[in-house]
Amino acid sequence: MNTSLRFLLVSSLVAGAAGLTGCATSSGVPNPSGVPVTEMKADERGFVAGTGIESQDLVSVTDKMARSIIAIPQIARAQTPPRIVIDPVKNETRFPINKDLFTDRIRIQLNSKATGRMTFLARDRMQALEKERALKQSGQVTASSDPNVVEFRGADYFLTGKLAGLTTRTSAGTGDYILYSFQLIDARTSEIVWEDAAEIKKQGLEDAAYR
Amino acid sequence: MFCSRHESSGRRRSSSPSSSRGLAASAAIALAIFLSGCVEGPLPAPVRRTGDPIVDGNAELAAAPAKDRVLWDYRIAASALRAGQYDEAKAKLDDAITRMGGIIANDESAKKARSLFANESDKTFIGEPYERAMAFYYRGLLYWRDGEPDNARACFRSAQYIDGAAVQENYRGDYVLFDYLDGLASTKLSDDGSDAFARAQTLAKHDLPAYEKDANVLCFVEFGRGPQKYAAGQYGEQLKFRAQQSRIHSARLIVGDQTANFTPWDNLSYQAITRGNRVMDYILGNKAVFKQGAEAVGDLALVGAAIAADNIYKEPRRLPPQVGPDGRLIPQRPEVEKNYDAENAAIALGVIGLIGKVAASATTPRADTRAWENLPQYLSFSALKLPAGAYPATLQFVDAQGEPVADLTRRFTLNVTDPAYDTVVILSELKR
Repeated sequence: MNTSLRFLLVSSLVAGAAGLTGCATSSGVPNPSGVPVTEMKADERGFVAGTGIESQDLVSVTDKMARSIIAIPQIARAQTPPRIVIDPVKNETRFPINKDLFTDRIRIQLNSKATGRMTFLARDRMQALEKERALKQSGQVTASSDPNVVEFRGADYFLTGKLAGLTTRTSAGTGDYILYSFQLIDARTSEIVWEDAAEIKKQGLEDAAYR
Repeated sequence: MFCSRHESSGRRRSSSPSSSRGLAASAAIALAIFLSGCVEGPLPAPVRRTGDPIVDGNAELAAAPAKDRVLWDYRIAASALRAGQYDEAKAKLDDAITRMGGIIANDESAKKARSLFANESDKTFIGEPYERAMAFYYRGLLYWRDGEPDNARACFRSAQYIDGAAVQENYRGDYVLFDYLDGLASTKLSDDGSDAFARAQTLAKHDLPAYEKDANVLCFVEFGRGPQKYAAGQYGEQLKFRAQQSRIHSARLIVGDQTANFTPWDNLSYQAITRGNRVMDYILGNKAVFKQGAEAVGDLALVGAAIAADNIYKEPRRLPPQVGPDGRLIPQRPEVEKNYDAENAAIALGVIGLIGKVAASATTPRADTRAWENLPQYLSFSALKLPAGAYPATLQFVDAQGEPVADLTRRFTLNVTDPAYDTVVILSELKR
């Protein structure tokens, strides 16, 4: 067998081996051993990501808002702890979200960091609270005070927010800008006593297989 | 074997034919192993059908590979929506939107789908833009039904955004209903919906009804069968859509003394067809060119190998008889000459030909035709004003002659529980 024949044989074997390697990956199951669960911090960007609202955005925005509210004079120097009702945020972005996440986290942050300096009213539970009061009024359950006296508190302030978005789409990818704005509104005067905002912009380009 | 006819030749080197045969056999074995390596594993056991599209769909979903998860989510969601199983539809749509709502980058299955030797259908299915848009649309209806018009609006905006990938500008974001509902949700939320209404009106072929904030019964009607995908081109590398002619041209909802007419606002077949070429179409086109080229190289090399093989042994040369010592003529045996260059060329071209053929057969340019098959063709909408109560309602689907199709007429009770909140009614000609 001369040199050129040997070269040809080796080449064909190499090509065959390369082909087999290719087939082994294409016919096999992707990630046959699975992908282990990775525990991540809520403020950490995960490997599954989009240009929308994600947990790290929620954490950073609500942290910023809670710190900002605590510092305002209406809260910091109030003679008696002001009563606050949280109104659901309004979503004006293109991303459907669980809006309660924002208000819940801000309330939790404020309650844990500003203990006693403000009180939140559970207006989202009014139906259950009214039912309980009716039970007390009818004598079906016991009451520690006169159930006929209205003790549901009125709000001093409303805390609310809005998520507004702007989307750009070109062949270079998708960009989403989201403005998270929050306001504290005086319930008596309708004055906006505090307002703050956070901005987040994200860009990405989809794999060519999906374009 | 191209050298077998010369096996009986007298002057060949004893090792050459056997080494050629050995080479050919090795190549054949390598090929066999190569091809057998490409055979997929055993198929999953077929799902036992019950006739219930949601039960069957969930069984299919459980048996399906992960790459088809969203496909089954879509199909089950549509069936669940039509069956009034809204929680099931929500769960499936949320699962699908979680997967396809983000940016898919650095994805192994997508990378594989782009390679020469893997099918496009190996990628994780998220659907074509019209399919993705419909997932958001349906989820938007369910958000609205749950009293969250802002999240519903977010879904309609996402649906319209997804359609923004069309190649031609005039086909980008051209769903009438999505813009109209965006504006209606804004109006209901005391925002300004006029921009969205103006956009919708520009896109619409008919005058759209002005927003009525107190119209509390929102009726979404769909009819016709949605676009079907097929693979065209020499190797099936072109993704095409087939639009079926719907026998239903409009619908009519009669509730008490009110009648709502539903003409098509959007046509999903039109949306599928006007999307233009995908980036993936260019990749598949390149795969097809490679396959064609490899096939041509393989054919040429094999023909060349055959020609070279024909020239390995020259025709026997008749030698003139020699004169013997006794003066008699001694006949000479014909002389056979072997051309080793031709033999090497034949083997080389044969191997090249085989590699070309194998590469061509392993190249898979076929377009992915997995489809959300139970989508409708036409989408329509109308809003009614009704106080709280239970209303007998009749839904008629109307043919091209303007006559209701008897076998599709449906009677049901429309319940309006609290006029302060919108009642969302989803009605489809499709049963599953």
